[in-house]
Amino acid sequence: MQRRKFLSLVGLSAVAMSAAPVALSATDWRETKPDVWTAKNVDDAIKAMYGDKKIAEGDITVTTPDVAANGGAVPVNVKSGLNAKTVAIFQDANPESAVIVFDVNKYGVVNYDVKMKLKSVGEPITVTCVIETTDGKVFSGKRTLDVALGGCEG
Amino acid sequence: MGSIKVKPKLKNGVVKVKALASHEMTTYDIAKKRTGNRDDANFITHISASVNGEVVWEASTSQFLAKNPIFKFQFKGIGAKGDKVVMTWTDRKGKTGKGKGKIK
Repeated sequence: MQRRKFLSLVGLSAVAMSAAPVALSATDWRETKPDVWTAKNVDDAIKAMYGDKKIAEGDITVTTPDVAANGGAVPVNVKSGLNAKTVAIFQDANPESAVIVFDVNKYGVVNYDVKMKLKSVGEPITVTCVIETTDGKVFSGKRTLDVALGGCEG
Repeated sequence: MGSIKVKPKLKNGVVKVKALASHEMTTYDIAKKRTGNRDDANFITHISASVNGEVVWEASTSQFLAKNPIFKFQFKGIGAKGDKVVMTWTDRKGKTGKGKGKIK
């Protein structure tokens, strides 16, 4: 069993390596970093995504309403002048933390709007945006808001 | 086959795109409540946009996007008026959705 497991691992990584040069821009972060999507809190998710890299406060603006009336669709905007490679958004209200990871290539302008679901937890929720720049540095920006009516309970 | 409405607009050299994907976006919690099975959750896991065959925007997503999520994004350096922005998504069950819009 052990050996079989090992072999399948080797097989997988070989496939990943041979596929890497072709898939220059198309990274499916759900496949490459599955731990990010199951992490239960923001710190764990960030660690799963970026490892132990130091995270600095950076030129990132996260915009949300102060109080979201409907947690089923909370508009969130992230904006940054950084030379971004990936842009990730996390929050601390829902069962898991990761919401979305954008890949930025040479055509990209970091100014994204998405609508996300946020659970109402009775206390302020923090939306964290983490950007990895093309030279490998990691920055983060935060925004805190209240949600009046949760959107995750269905 | 799902769909996306794509509305790109060119202004000052930057193309701004508004896209609306039609998708239920069920979370694990909702799925469990409705059917008792966490695994019935279904949501868009990857979405991308391309112009003239080149990817200009892409994202890996989780269950916490709103139902029928709206995305707004921008790109520059590619795409003229009349070019088509083509978008595709893939969901957790492997279904795909497509949509395109002409740059105005």
